[in-house]
This record gives sequence, C-alpha cells and structure tokens, in this order.
Amino acid sequence: MPIDITMPRLSDTMEKGTIIKWHVAAGDEVSSGDVLADVETDKATMEMQSFDDGKVERIAVKEGEPVDVGTVVAILLEEDESPEDAAVAQNQPVAAAPAATVESSSPAAVPAPEAQRSRAGNLKLTPVARRLAEEHGIDPASLVGSGPGGRIVKRDVLAAVGTSTETRSAVPPSAAPTPATQSQPVVIDPVPTPAVPVTAVQPVSTASTNSDIIAIPGSLQSHSEPLSNMRQTIAARLVQSKQSIPHYQVSASFNVDPLLALRKSLNQQLEGTGSKISVNDLVVRACALAMYANPLMNASWGGDSIVYNGAVNIGVAIALPVESGGGLVVATIRDADRKSIRVISAETRALSEKAKTRGLTVDEMADSTFTISNLGMFGVDDFTAIINPPNSAILAVGGAIQKPVVRDGELAVGHEMKVTLSNDHRVIDGATAAQYLVSLREYIENPAQILV
Amino acid sequence: MAERMIEFRDALREAMSEAMREDPKVFLIGEEVAEYNGAYKVSRGMLEEFGPRRIIDAPISETGFAGLGIGAAMMGLKPIVEFMSWSFSLVAADQILNNAPKMLYMSGGQLQCPIVFRGNDGAGGQLGSTHSWCVESLYANVPGLKMVIPSDPYDAKGLLAAAIADPDPVFCLESERMLSMTGDVPEASYTLPIGKAIIRRPGTDCTIVSFGRPVHFCMEAAEQLAKEGIDCEVIDGRSVKPLDIDTIAESVRKTNCCVVVDQSWSFASVGSEVAAEVHRICFDDLDNHVHRVHNDDVPAPYAHNLEAEMLPNARKICEAVRSVTYNA
Repeated sequence: MPIDITMPRLSDTMEKGTIIKWHVAAGDEVSSGDVLADVETDKATMEMQSFDDGKVERIAVKEGEPVDVGTVVAILLEEDESPEDAAVAQNQPVAAAPAATVESSSPAAVPAPEAQRSRAGNLKLTPVARRLAEEHGIDPASLVGSGPGGRIVKRDVLAAVGTSTETRSAVPPSAAPTPATQSQPVVIDPVPTPAVPVTAVQPVSTASTNSDIIAIPGSLQSHSEPLSNMRQTIAARLVQSKQSIPHYQVSASFNVDPLLALRKSLNQQLEGTGSKISVNDLVVRACALAMYANPLMNASWGGDSIVYNGAVNIGVAIALPVESGGGLVVATIRDADRKSIRVISAETRALSEKAKTRGLTVDEMADSTFTISNLGMFGVDDFTAIINPPNSAILAVGGAIQKPVVRDGELAVGHEMKVTLSNDHRVIDGATAAQYLVSLREYIENPAQILV
Repeated sequence: MAERMIEFRDALREAMSEAMREDPKVFLIGEEVAEYNGAYKVSRGMLEEFGPRRIIDAPISETGFAGLGIGAAMMGLKPIVEFMSWSFSLVAADQILNNAPKMLYMSGGQLQCPIVFRGNDGAGGQLGSTHSWCVESLYANVPGLKMVIPSDPYDAKGLLAAAIADPDPVFCLESERMLSMTGDVPEASYTLPIGKAIIRRPGTDCTIVSFGRPVHFCMEAAEQLAKEGIDCEVIDGRSVKPLDIDTIAESVRKTNCCVVVDQSWSFASVGSEVAAEVHRICFDDLDNHVHRVHNDDVPAPYAHNLEAEMLPNARKICEAVRSVTYNA
C-alpha cells in the first residue's frame, strides 16, 4: 500500500502546520529517518522525518502553505508499487502521474488516456474551481482541496494562482457588479448607494504628496506582514492568559553584590572548562530551591482543584532573533532543583542556541511549572511579565544595577536587582507571593546556598 | 429633498388613495376596511374620502368577497381585495387560484382580471399555526398571477401602486410585523417595476437572496458576517413572480455562492425555485451548491421563543453563509 505522509501533530496546541522547506522531491528514494521537510508549527520549526523506506510519489503540499494536522502532505511508494496504486489508494485529489515516474520503458506501462480520465474523474472540484483552473492554466490534479472530502474549491485555485485580485479580473465583464438603480423619476432612493467594496485597512501611508520631504536612511515604511504561526500562537495564548488569569504583581529589590561576587569567583575557577555561569543560571536554581518552602508557587490552577507539581521545572523565556522572524519560546529546565549550576548553565545555553537556530522540540518546551523572564541583559530596571499557563507565576528579572544603596544604615554603592512576580490570584495569594520573595531573597543574598 | 418618514401602513394607503383619486374604477373591499378604518388601520380615513360605494366592508366570507372582486374585475373595474391575513385567503382558494389567474386564458383573451389581493403574510407574532401562513410558495406555483413582497415603506407604496395599475391579478404580500416600520417615502405617485430585484447591500463573497421581512434578517446577518471577513451581497427580490433571476445570476457569477432565505417551508418553495434556477443558469460559476434557509418544517408554534427559532433568522443565515463559503 502506498504510504500517506500526513502533517504530524507536533504539539498539544498544534492545529495547522506549514512546510517551510521540502528536503525531498517527487521521485526521490527515502529511508526511514531521512528528513523529509522542515515543518513550522505554532511553536517552533521542526524536522519531519520519514518512518518508512520508499520512493516519494508525490508532494501534495506546497512550501509555505499552512495545512491542518492530518492532511496528506506527501505519498510514499513502497518497493514494487506503481503510481497507480497511489491513485487507487487515494480518494484525495491525486496528481496526474507524469509518465516519467513510471519506470518501465514499455509503452504499455504508460498510463492510458482512460486511466488519466478516470483519475481526473475522481477529482472533486466545484464548477467555478474547474473554470478558474482552466482560465489560469492550472492542472486541478496538482491542487489539494480544502473543501469537504478534499473537494477543490475556488480558494484552492486562487491560492495556486497567487492572489485573489486575479479573481476579480476573472469575472467576465458582463458580470461586473451593476448596483440596481431605480428607474422611477421621483425617487429618493432609500437604499444606500453601493460604495466601493470595503477593502482591508491600509496602514497609514508615509508617502506624501509633498516632494520636499527627503527620504532619510533608516526611516520607516508603512506595510503589513502576515502573522507567522509563532506570532499567532503568542497572540492567542497571551491574550488568553491575560484575559482569563487574575494577574497581580509583587516586586522586591535584592542586594546582588554577593551573587555577583560568587559568579565572578566561580567563573574565574571555571576558566578553561568551557563553563560560564550567568546571573540567570543562579536565579534559575534559586527560584527552584525556593519552591520547597512555597509549593503553591509551583502549582497549577486545575479548574476545580489546585494541582501541586512534584517536579520543579523552570521555564526560561528565550527571545528569538528578529532576522529569523523574532518571537519567543520558553525552554524547560527540568528538575532544576536537582541539577547543579553547571548543568543548568549548560542546558540553558544549549536550548537557547537550539531555539535560535533549529527550533526546540515540543518536549523541550513542555511541562514547565514556573517561568523566568530575564531582561536584565538590556539593563532594564524592572518590568512585569504575563503568566505562561499552566504556570501560576512568572518572575520578571531586571538588571543588576549599580546604584546608591543603604547597607547597615550607611549609604554605599552596590548592585541591586529588582524582580517582579506575576501571580495567578486563583492559586497564589499576595502573602504567599511575598513569602516566596522572602525565600528567594534568602538564596539570592546568601548565594552559597544555591550551590549546595 | 427632505426626508418624509411614514409608516409602512401609510405607504400602502397612499398607493391605494392615489390610485382611487386618479381612477374611479378602483375600489377597496375587505373585512373592517371601512367603518373600522381597517383591522390594521391601513385604510384609515379612506371611507371618509371615498365613501361607502368605494370602500366596502365585506362580511366574514372570503370566498364571497374575493369572488365579487373577480367578477367586478372581469367587468372592467379595478378592485383591491384586502385579506385581513393571507391565512384567511385559504378559504377563497378556488376564487383566487382557480378563477382570477386563469380568466384571461380560459376566455381566450376576452376577459382581463385586473385585481389586487393584498394583506398580511407570514408569522404575525404568536398567532398560532393556522394564522401564520406564508402563502408565497403555495400561490406562486399557479400560472397567471403576479406576486410582490415589499420589504419597506418605499417599496410598499411603489409595488402596490404598480400592482393596482397592472392588468393582471397581483398578490401583494405584506407583513403585520412591518406595518409600523417607518421609511422615507416620496409624496408624489410612483411605481416600482414588478419583476425587478434590488441589491440592498453590495458584496463580493456570497449572494443572499430574500423577499419581504427576512431581507432585514439578511442585512443583520451580513453585518455580522462582514465582521468575520465575509462580504455578502444582499438581494431583495421584491417580486416573486415574475422572478428577477437575471439580477440574482449576475450577482452569483461574481460571488460564486448563494444562500436563499425564504420564510415559507422548504419543500417546493420559492427558495427551491430560486436555487434550481441559480443551479441551472450559474452552474459553472458555483463554488458550492445553493444553500437555503427556510421555516423549519413544522407548523408555526405559538410560543414566542419557538416561533422565533422556527422562522429564518440572522443566526441561521450566518450559519448557511459560513457553510456555503467553506468557512463553517
């Protein structure tokens, strides 16, 4: 039997995926484990591997075209199978098999016209889709139908054509909209005169009729860009979080002189080992250890219960480079309470690097119980973060800023770091959050504890 | 020109009064139309102006006064026969379906029948099964008659005036639920062509066709759908018979899909006729089969909530449009 390669569900929330790049083409031999394509999900770009050996009979989905999970994206033929088998196996639209893929040179093996026709007969396409395909010279067999049962509908053809503006021109002149007018002489037409069809909102144009304005290098241009899957997910999830979770914030300022001193000392001693400990690494472990005395901070809202998590998995927010589309992901440092600083540091570094280049797997982003967002490297004083469900809290970490401080009743110069905890009030009351900051302060300001 | 807002019922009266002033052959007959000023006050003041020979209170006998009107029309008068409700016209079926529309044909062209039957059609609001008839699908089946369904005061005056002027039997289907609706109506006489639809709202994504009161539900649905990015073109057929299939087809060629909203039952209905014609004429332009929104296939319930659910409504129309455009 020919094998349908379908869009895999690569995360719990994934409903659609986009093939960013095909690594194989029709006719290629593939083996189990070969990378077939790069798939962009709502969270990351991941590799799609083949689970079987065979020959790619057909690529059914174009690069850049989002399709539902489960949609057939390619068909693989096992040994001894012919493209006909693929055609029989599919009630989905099937590409007219180019004769070139039939390996036998015997003329008898070339699909007879009847076969072609019967296959075209299996294609379900609407009358207007058929007409538009003809007008644009598109082979309907090359299309994937988005209608019920794989029916090819107008939008599928238009997507293949490229732009919907072409439809308008495809409308015969006789069918041009002519708003009905009333022929009576005495008419104040109570019907709103049809205006130009409403078009999408245009960004405010920077173009000006004033030719005196000189273009400044680096100046902005109005334009809009379609949302990436990741941007859509960020938008949907954060709106949902902010709308459904009763957020409130509690802040504290920590004396980080001891922490900075410890870090400096550690890094001097680790010099040459390839390890370099960051402030964030220390904060990750401090946050994890502080959970022991404050288990609610590590819990989740369960609708009719509060779910206490046994593992302490710290999510670390990672900003992705603007050049590759931007966005952010949260990598999970599992069992951060049981890992050494060196391990936490190495894992964070590896995940961050992977997130920025190849993308994280679902596993690498799943199961966090608490999240840390650190903008300290930008020198911000403080900020607030939006809770990353199903977490009940997120810690927004500011920079370690040198400033005048009061130590032991004396004015001095020292480093302070401000953190702001956003909490889900359904799970965490203010005093609980404050108590957590007390515990966290214990660790941060007496950082030797973090190491043991 | 300044707006002149009047009620639907006033627009109907203006059409009748203007015709009666102009042509002494026009008269109005029906239950309560004279002394009581009309059961729904459509003929208020007409007895005073035109006298009892032309504004005639009929006994509760639809067969009798409908037949009387048809006889008068055959002899050259131009009667307007008011049914308090089209539901009551069922007892006059033999007169209005068997005599009026066939007279010209059966007499070999000797006897015209320039008569107007008019009254309230559709669910009036908790009137129960027997008094909530939508007769358009039943009656439009008969050859020889014309049928108009105004959806606002402007159309009420223009279509009724055209109906009175027409040489053939014309059924004018009004709605009790719209009689108090106000609209801008010119004071001067005018007629609207029978058999010509109007585009109430231009759009590019889906054609919605309806007649009479449900046109307003279509407009409501179109506003909602516009927010969802589906731009609907709403066509008010105005006249069921003749049907302006040209305007509908022209729209469907542009939008490639069509929803018909018809306040009668679905089986062998105005909606099924429009759908069949769209399929015939626009076959190669369709991206989906025509979807229809009708009354649910039950007698009109009495309960307010059930009645509202049984009738075509904006929610049902939205669902049909999403489905026909593959956005469901």
